[in-house]
Amino acid sequence: MLGSILSQYARSLAVFAVFLLMVLVEALGIREAIYPGLESFFNWMNQSSWIGVIGTTYGSVYATVEALHLLSMAVLGGTVLATDLRLLGMIFKDVPSETLVTGTHKCFRWALLMAILTGIFCAAGVGNKVYFMEVFWIKMLVLIAGSCFMLFIKQPLLTSRPHAQINPWTIRLVAVTSMLIWFTVAATGRWIGFS
Amino acid sequence: MINELLLQFAHWMEAQEYSQMLVAGYYSYSWLEATHVLTLMVSIGSLFIIDFRMLGWVMPNVPASTIAARLHKPMIIGFVIMFITGALLVYAKPVETIQSLWFRMKMILLLLAFINAWIFNNRLKSAKGNWDNDPVAPGPLRTGAIISLVLWCGVVTLGRYIPYDWVDCTNTTNTTILWAAGCVDQLNAL
Repeated sequence: MLGSILSQYARSLAVFAVFLLMVLVEALGIREAIYPGLESFFNWMNQSSWIGVIGTTYGSVYATVEALHLLSMAVLGGTVLATDLRLLGMIFKDVPSETLVTGTHKCFRWALLMAILTGIFCAAGVGNKVYFMEVFWIKMLVLIAGSCFMLFIKQPLLTSRPHAQINPWTIRLVAVTSMLIWFTVAATGRWIGFS
Repeated sequence: MINELLLQFAHWMEAQEYSQMLVAGYYSYSWLEATHVLTLMVSIGSLFIIDFRMLGWVMPNVPASTIAARLHKPMIIGFVIMFITGALLVYAKPVETIQSLWFRMKMILLLLAFINAWIFNNRLKSAKGNWDNDPVAPGPLRTGAIISLVLWCGVVTLGRYIPYDWVDCTNTTNTTILWAAGCVDQLNAL
């Protein structure tokens, strides 16, 4: 009985466990213990890793990868907006929301992968700076939360059954949460440049 | 001649009180720049989905004209915000921007992208009905979509280059670059 209930919500429980782990990491002071040790890793990324060396030596390569990062974020944002505005009933009213949810997901995953890979390169180029930036860590946390939300909550929920069988307020809540998360990821990313 | 006129215009803008206020404000320029960049997700994000649909990469089971029509409004809203914030960014730092080679190249690509969008839109209207449900659009529309993707990638990349000073007027003596960037004072000094 309990096993069958738990198996139905395995992914949601996994996400909850991740969040619980993050709370414990903070509450037990584990983050404060780990944080100083990460500085040498960020310095290594910046000064010794090949991506860091390329990023710091060739400004034009760094700027081009930054542009690729922006483009992948633009595609990611486009897919998120198209899907979420449809879930809110604001656009694509004549197209079933199920079609949009499945039709844009592959594109979203590619854009996310591209954004993460180019983002690692960009972070390596300024590794000795971003380590000290609070906004960078906020972005990383929201990015992890957003990816988990998209892959383990939003997509499984919206592909599990016809949307007519899901509470409309749940769908609206999912759409608004998704837009807020990705807006925060993009906005904190932009703010790294100003810090 | 055109470079001298542009520089005079830039100096006139720079002398305006509001231009100086935008740069002097602690957050105003950053907010403008952030809005300009974040609106990419609405404008170029929507545009790329339309282009991807023409190439059969997303939602091949949804009529292409439906995707183009439904994303038109958010795309236009995004572009309007981008142009307003973009114009204000130029207004805030007119001399620096008008003498940027990357900015000038970006404007040329932007013009080409709009010409391509106009041609693409006309082709879309004339081709409507015959192919709409096909997973991939006809050749001319696919070509238009690829040109659009290339041009907008170029616009974003050149926009990203603008803050870098590799070919700023003070960093180069190459006369072709100085002329193309409109570095009037440096050219006169040579």
